Amino acid sequence: MSNTLRPYLNAVRQTLTAAMCLENFSSQVAERHNKPEVEARASKEVLLNPLVISRNDKEKVLIETSVNSLRVSIAIKQADEIERILAHKFTRFLMQRAESFVILRRKPIEGYDISFLITNAHTEQMYKHKLVDFIIQFMEEVDKEISEMKLSLNARARIVSESYLSQFN
Amino acid sequence: MSELPVINEFGQGPITCHAFNKDRTELAVCFNTNVVHIFRKNGNSWDVQWTLVEHDKPVTSIDWAANSNRIVTCSQDRNAYVWTLDPQIQQWKPTLVLLRINRAATFVRWSPEEDKFAVASGARCISICYFEEDNDWWVGKHIKKPIRSTVLSLDWHPNNVLLAAGSADMKARVFSAFIKGVDKKPAPSPWGEKLPFGTLCGEFSNGTGGWIHSVGFSPDGDALAFTGHDSTLTVVYPGTGSIQSIRAPSLPYLSLLWLNSTQLVAGGHDCAPHLFEANGQQWAFAASLDQATKKVEVGQSARDTFRRMDSRGQSSGSNDTELATQHQNTINSIRAYEGTRDNVSKFSSSSIDGRLIIWSTANITKGIANLRI
Amino acid sequence: MILLDYHNRIIEDTLKARFNPENKPKLVDMSIVDFDGVSYHISTLENQETKLLLSIRWKCWPELIQYGAESVLKREYSQWITQPEVGYDFSLLFDLENIGADPEDVIRKVSLLKRNAMAAPFERAFDAQALAEKEEQWDPTTSQLMTIHYREGESIFIQNQQDRVTVIFSTLFKEETDRIFGKVFLQEFVDARRKPHLQHAPQVIYSHREPPLEIRHLPGLEDSESMGYITFVLFPRHFVSGQVREETISRIQIFRDYLHYHIKCSKAYMHSRMRARVSDFLKVLNRAKPEHHAVEKKLASGRAFRRT
Repeated sequence: MSNTLRPYLNAVRQTLTAAMCLENFSSQVAERHNKPEVEARASKEVLLNPLVISRNDKEKVLIETSVNSLRVSIAIKQADEIERILAHKFTRFLMQRAESFVILRRKPIEGYDISFLITNAHTEQMYKHKLVDFIIQFMEEVDKEISEMKLSLNARARIVSESYLSQFN
Repeated sequence: MSELPVINEFGQGPITCHAFNKDRTELAVCFNTNVVHIFRKNGNSWDVQWTLVEHDKPVTSIDWAANSNRIVTCSQDRNAYVWTLDPQIQQWKPTLVLLRINRAATFVRWSPEEDKFAVASGARCISICYFEEDNDWWVGKHIKKPIRSTVLSLDWHPNNVLLAAGSADMKARVFSAFIKGVDKKPAPSPWGEKLPFGTLCGEFSNGTGGWIHSVGFSPDGDALAFTGHDSTLTVVYPGTGSIQSIRAPSLPYLSLLWLNSTQLVAGGHDCAPHLFEANGQQWAFAASLDQATKKVEVGQSARDTFRRMDSRGQSSGSNDTELATQHQNTINSIRAYEGTRDNVSKFSSSSIDGRLIIWSTANITKGIANLRI
Repeated sequence: MILLDYHNRIIEDTLKARFNPENKPKLVDMSIVDFDGVSYHISTLENQETKLLLSIRWKCWPELIQYGAESVLKREYSQWITQPEVGYDFSLLFDLENIGADPEDVIRKVSLLKRNAMAAPFERAFDAQALAEKEEQWDPTTSQLMTIHYREGESIFIQNQQDRVTVIFSTLFKEETDRIFGKVFLQEFVDARRKPHLQHAPQVIYSHREPPLEIRHLPGLEDSESMGYITFVLFPRHFVSGQVREETISRIQIFRDYLHYHIKCSKAYMHSRMRARVSDFLKVLNRAKPEHHAVEKKLASGRAFRRT
């Protein structure tokens, strides 16, 4: 792990642990409703200040918390066009499977590549610390996966071009 | 150490609230549903005796009046019911309470005399309910001002008149819930002398702000403690005007309980009850009551191991999945189990992982003493 | 499989089966497609199971004829050429009882039909270059720029000069992913050519969107983000008459398909990787779900013990 990645992930982990303190909270606005307040945004006092943790201008995490839900949005490192398209493909691939990922939001928040929405129902059914682990591991591996995919694309392109051109010898 | 914590695992989902009857042979629990289960103790286990089905949204709070043996429940469906046991047919009968609130009811507690109860709600008000003989029903009177958000918790003063409320507008308040015809004029206290219904006797915040998750009067009623989402515990002495906020070394507490006038426990998102102790009016964090030792791993069958490999991609599961604490998820309610209000000898805590644990305080005091030396 | 075949495999297999005297003649009627929108039709004549007709259709056929395809086809297939079948551009007719040459040879030749038709403009350019080289004062205006619109929106341009022949492909990347992957691949082609052991290969120049100078004046070039141009510069050593020349023609022709084939392979590989990674992530998420131990107790007899 590189030197800047560790403190970055640590900061995200600590913030998420604190943000994961959710409780069942019925809507104050709509009768007999119970909605993620971070999405509904109907009562100001149950929203906490959103927080951005940035590693650099491209990689950052936005954590928005409310009394019964929290939203984590991740901007993935995209150094060039290839990483951009790979990140885009990968996040789209994941979001199409949001059903099985439960905490994945189907659309990312604007300015970010992927968003998670965790509600009190999720923290009731799952261990909070493991949900934090999941997001941290996700952040770590998404970068790794994208750079590996890029490497494999370059390797393939090299083999393909060399095999073609070496026929002329 | 004589008594270890007694763990009752129900495995039926998160426990949102619980209440014992007077002699602790019966237990009312809600597993995050619209139903309240009443268990009866059977040796070391609990058998379901009754299920109370009347609410149609998750039940948020239960209280069991020890002497009059009545249960009051409230729910997100905006209603509260008072349940009485019909001795003839041995069934619990519900009576709807006229709360007149249009949002979820969040918290309910009987007054010490059991002639009133208070219901907190998301309608930014508290309903003080009392029995109206003439009409033969429970009616509610509202305390509205100056509450600006959902009321999350309540606690009655021992004088049966004052009521503390913690709310999501980041304030803990003390109100008078004096009902003419029900209450006698209370003796003067540090909270005030003339106390008509709805008087605001005190309004406090924990400085940094944060939703107030729980409130509790000291056994003599002369102090008020409350916990906030900013992980603080605040103790207020209106007599001397002292307000002390202690930053907890952990995640926010959702529930607190005074064990006696110098000790209180608080539990919440950290999954362990923490003990605070006072030296005079100076409070400090003393210790976690859960010594957090790793539990012995249960033997696993090969089938379990394979299944785990398949679904989680790891071979030995529980070690790193489970927390070291007894509760595996947020504690959302701590209640007195045994003893009197000024000397609680045992208390119970229930949590989202479906466990209800009974802790002995005698044990704690000894344990702490050992730790100190 | 890294490299692609030049011949059509289905034609090869079909003819092999039909030309084998051990197989009884039977009715055949099949349509085959190939790269670049080529379609074939193989059928037996009505009531004549021993007469096999093979036809080809390709939208750039008139252009190929214009660039001398007829003579190439005559050279290769003279004795089997017949009146083109209705709806097709060119047909060959075989009498299975008398093929008229070594069947193996015929099969090889026929399965290269598409390649041979496309070879005509290349051969013309090579010959013109050979002539130009001999002249002392070559007039550049005599160089011919041949355009073959061989696919929808994509073309091959061939131009002879005094010392070289330039082949330019225009290619279309339908999706953004294709475009970006294509860029990576083509950049590698340019870079690979610089390596010492590949110095003999033709020079490769890649340009995105901007058409190369040689063809910039042509009308109808699409100006869009998804267009790419690849230029091969062939020197006489690349088309020495004989084996070398034939190989070069085949290889250059297949280039576009080779490129796109590998772009698709890469996409498929990414997809399978992502699938695997997603299932890994799901496993990590599953770790957050509490396990409900239902420890099954066994009796001494080995049967499961259940408390009733």
